[in-house]
Amino acid sequence: MAGKDVHYVLRLVAKLSIDKASQVLSKMVRAGSKIELEKVYLADISKATENVMASDRGAVVGAFVDLVGDIPFKFLFYVDSQDSMMLTDLILRRPDGATKAIDVYTMSAVQELGNILSSAITNVFASDFQVAMKPTPPKMVHDYASTVFQEFLMDAATEQNEILMIESTFRVVKVDIKCRMFLLPKNDAQKTLANIIGLN
Amino acid sequence: MEGLKEIIVGMADFKTAKEGEVLTTILGSCVGLCLYSPKHKVGGLLHLMMASAGAQAMSPTCKKAKYADTGVPELIRSLKVMHGASSTDLIAKMFGGAKVLQGVERNIGGENSAAVKTILLEYGIPLKALKLGGEKGYRIKFAMDTGKVACQIFGQIVEEF
Repeated sequence: MAGKDVHYVLRLVAKLSIDKASQVLSKMVRAGSKIELEKVYLADISKATENVMASDRGAVVGAFVDLVGDIPFKFLFYVDSQDSMMLTDLILRRPDGATKAIDVYTMSAVQELGNILSSAITNVFASDFQVAMKPTPPKMVHDYASTVFQEFLMDAATEQNEILMIESTFRVVKVDIKCRMFLLPKNDAQKTLANIIGLN
Repeated sequence: MEGLKEIIVGMADFKTAKEGEVLTTILGSCVGLCLYSPKHKVGGLLHLMMASAGAQAMSPTCKKAKYADTGVPELIRSLKVMHGASSTDLIAKMFGGAKVLQGVERNIGGENSAAVKTILLEYGIPLKALKLGGEKGYRIKFAMDTGKVACQIFGQIVEEF
């Protein structure tokens, strides 16, 4: 399959998944979320991680999920530590500023978001492409953004020097929270997907 | 280290630097190897992912900095070619190798650091400092003026090595 087609397929998946995830995020936090970035790209692992390090402002809370099934993907959702506390207030309907530290509630809130967003994506696979997929329980990490991102890439990066990635940034408008989401196709995921939708 | 030129080293990469420059990286389960020549005030930082390239080592597409057994010799060679520092001038410091994700059985950090130690021994490069393991990421800043490495494990204070 030509590289152009691979990108086309992934763009399609990205568009549908991210739209769905954005709707779900809006409902979950009861505030509008605006998609600020949505891109599919092939990146050199060194360059990609260097870019994240260059913009690394410190601590994030992240949720790692494996989307297992016929078209396996890896999913990462992360948010700055400070913003994760605001998200916790929104989700738990606490007054703004009530959450003052990264604690079990914050981790649970981000974990739940990771769960719900990854489920929304697997729903897109099921409803639009008739592909059965399910998310594994999220693994939670509170660490440097760069560390979180590198661990996300680790499996793919052991086998490849360049990785095909779907990246998206949401902004929860009401409270100005920025969240980042990545999808990484595993093995021959994009080829399988292209077969399913008849590109091959 | 303020005011010095900062050079970022990504995963599976290495860079060298000279006086007035600082090499920096952030590590998770990867290992960061700092090689420094006090005589020349130059050094290099390797951000390696795995212990051995295996059969990949022979491939023209092999990303040498990804592996200890190809990356360390390549960094030593670069320091010689670009800055005139031979292996007998060098000292080493090593960081990282955390087990960030719970539930991962394999101790990649341990395998990487063991491989690096063996290679350093082969080259006769003394390992002057090491900080390895744990469950959190490492931010390191390696200054060429002094050869000192500021290491901050996530959530902890900066330590100097």
